[in-house]
Amino acid sequence: MGASTYSRRVSLVAVLRLSVLTFLADPQWLVPSLIAPVIFGLVSYELFTGAGPWFVLYAILGAGMMSMWGQTLYGSGWATGQDRHLGTLEPTLTAPTPYVYVVLGRVIWNTVAGLFGGLIVFVVVAITYGHPIPLANPLEFLLMFVFVIVTLAAVGVVFAAAYVYTRYAGFVQNVGEFAFYIGTGCMFPVVLLPFWSNPISLVLPPTWALDALRYLAIPGYQGFGWGFWWDMVGAVGTTLLYLGIAASVFRRVERHVLEAGDLNDW
Amino acid sequence: MTEPALRSSFTRTFWVNAIFAPRTSLGFMRLDFVLGTIFIIPLTQMTFFAFVASLSGTPGGVAFVVVGNAVATVTYSSVFSVCQTTDNEKEAGTMEHLLVSPANRFALYFGRGLIPVLASLATVAVAIVYAVTIFHVPFAGGSVGDLAVSITLTAFAMVGFGLLLGGVALYLRTSIILGNIFLFLGLLLSGANFPLSVLPLPLQYVGDLLPLTWGISAVRAALAGAPLGTMLTLWGYVALCGIVSIGLSMALWNTFERRALSTGSIARF
Repeated sequence: MGASTYSRRVSLVAVLRLSVLTFLADPQWLVPSLIAPVIFGLVSYELFTGAGPWFVLYAILGAGMMSMWGQTLYGSGWATGQDRHLGTLEPTLTAPTPYVYVVLGRVIWNTVAGLFGGLIVFVVVAITYGHPIPLANPLEFLLMFVFVIVTLAAVGVVFAAAYVYTRYAGFVQNVGEFAFYIGTGCMFPVVLLPFWSNPISLVLPPTWALDALRYLAIPGYQGFGWGFWWDMVGAVGTTLLYLGIAASVFRRVERHVLEAGDLNDW
Repeated sequence: MTEPALRSSFTRTFWVNAIFAPRTSLGFMRLDFVLGTIFIIPLTQMTFFAFVASLSGTPGGVAFVVVGNAVATVTYSSVFSVCQTTDNEKEAGTMEHLLVSPANRFALYFGRGLIPVLASLATVAVAIVYAVTIFHVPFAGGSVGDLAVSITLTAFAMVGFGLLLGGVALYLRTSIILGNIFLFLGLLLSGANFPLSVLPLPLQYVGDLLPLTWGISAVRAALAGAPLGTMLTLWGYVALCGIVSIGLSMALWNTFERRALSTGSIARF
C-alpha cells in the first residue's frame, strides 16, 4: 500500500470518527433537521387524509427525503462553510491528504445520520397513521431509500466543493430549500409541474431516484412515462456525473488555493 | 434637565438598536437573505403546499393552504431572526456590557424588532400579492384596509413572539433549536394548512396561544370581506398575543438580568 493511499485512508477514518464524536457531543443538530420533516410529514399526512391508503407513502417519502436533505445535503454542503467559520479551511486544504477525502468522511457520517432521520420520520408518520404502512416491496423499498440518500449526498458533495468559492452557502441552502423540494418532487410527482420545468428537475439526481422509489412502492403510480428502470439509469447516471463534477471541482479548488496562497478572494 | 435627557436616551437607544441590530445581533438579516425571505421563500413555500394540496384533492384546499402559508412565511423574519438576538449577544461576548449599561431595556429590546417588523410586513404583503395574482385566491374588493391592518398587527405580534423566544433563549446555550421548532410548528398548529378543528383538542389549545393562528384567521377573514365586528375581534386577539409576548419577554429579560447581576456571571446560561 502506497504512503499516499495510507494517508488518505487514515484521514478518511479520522474525519469519520471526528464527525461521529462531534455529533455525539452535540446531537442537538439532529433536532433542527428533524423538526421540519416531521412537521411537514404530519401536515402532508393530514392533507392526504381521505385521498387513499397509498397517499400515506407520499407523506412518508416526502418528509423522509426532507429529513435526509437536512442531514445529508445540508450537512455535507455546509461542511466547507463550517471549515471557513472555524478557520480550519486553509490548514485542511494545505494538508497532504486531498480535501475531497475530508469531505467524504463527513458525507458518509451525514448519510448514516440522514438514514436515522428518515427512519424517525417514517415511525412518526406511521404511528400517526395507526395502520400498517402499505409497502408492496419492503426490502427493495429500503434499498431504494438508501440509494435516494446517496443521490442526495452526491448533490451535497458538489455543493461542498462549490461553496469553497462562495460565502453564500447559507443563502443558497436556506432560501433554496423549498425550491429544491419542488424541483425534485419530494412530496408529489414531478410530472405535475409545468413541462418547461422538467429539464431543470431532471438535472437533479434525487428526482430520478424518488420517481423510481415511488414506482417501486406505489402500485399504479403515474410518474415519468419511461418507468422504473430508466429512472434508475437516470439516477445512477446523474449521481456519477455529480460525483465526477465534485471530484473535478475539488481538484481545481486545491490548485487555485495553492496558487493564490489564501482563500480571501472568495 | 433629567426628563429630556431620559427621553433622548430612550429615543436614541431605540433607533440605535433598530439600525444596528440587523447588522449585529439579529440572525439572517443580510440584504440577500432579507430579499430572499421577502420574494423567494413565500413563493416557493406556497407553491410547494399548493401542489401537495392539489395532489390530495382537498376541495378548496389550494386556496386555503396558499393563504395560510402566505401568512406563515412571516415566521422567518419575525421569529427565526429575532429570537437569535440574545444568542448572538452572548456569542459575541457583548451581553455583559449590555447588562451593565443604563440603556432603557424596552427601547433596547423593542428597537431591535423594528426592521424585522418592516421585513415581516413586506414578506406577508408580497406573499398575499402572489396568492391573489398567481394562485388566483379570491379577494373581496374593498377589504384592502382590513387586510393592511391584519398584516400590520400580525407582523407586530409575530415580532413580539420572536422577542419572547429571544427572552427564553437567554437561558439556553443556543436559540437555533427554539427558532427551528417555532418556525415549523406554526405550519401544524396555526391552521395554515388545515382547519385547527381536525387536530386533537390539546393541540388546538396550543395553537390558540400562537399569534400566527390569529394572524392567519384575520388575513383569511379580511380576504373574504368579513364584517367589521368579526375583524375587530380577530385583531383584538392578534394584538393581545403581541402584547402578552412582549410583556413576557421583558419579564424574562429582567429576571435574567437580576440573576446575572446577583451572581456576577452569565456563564451558566
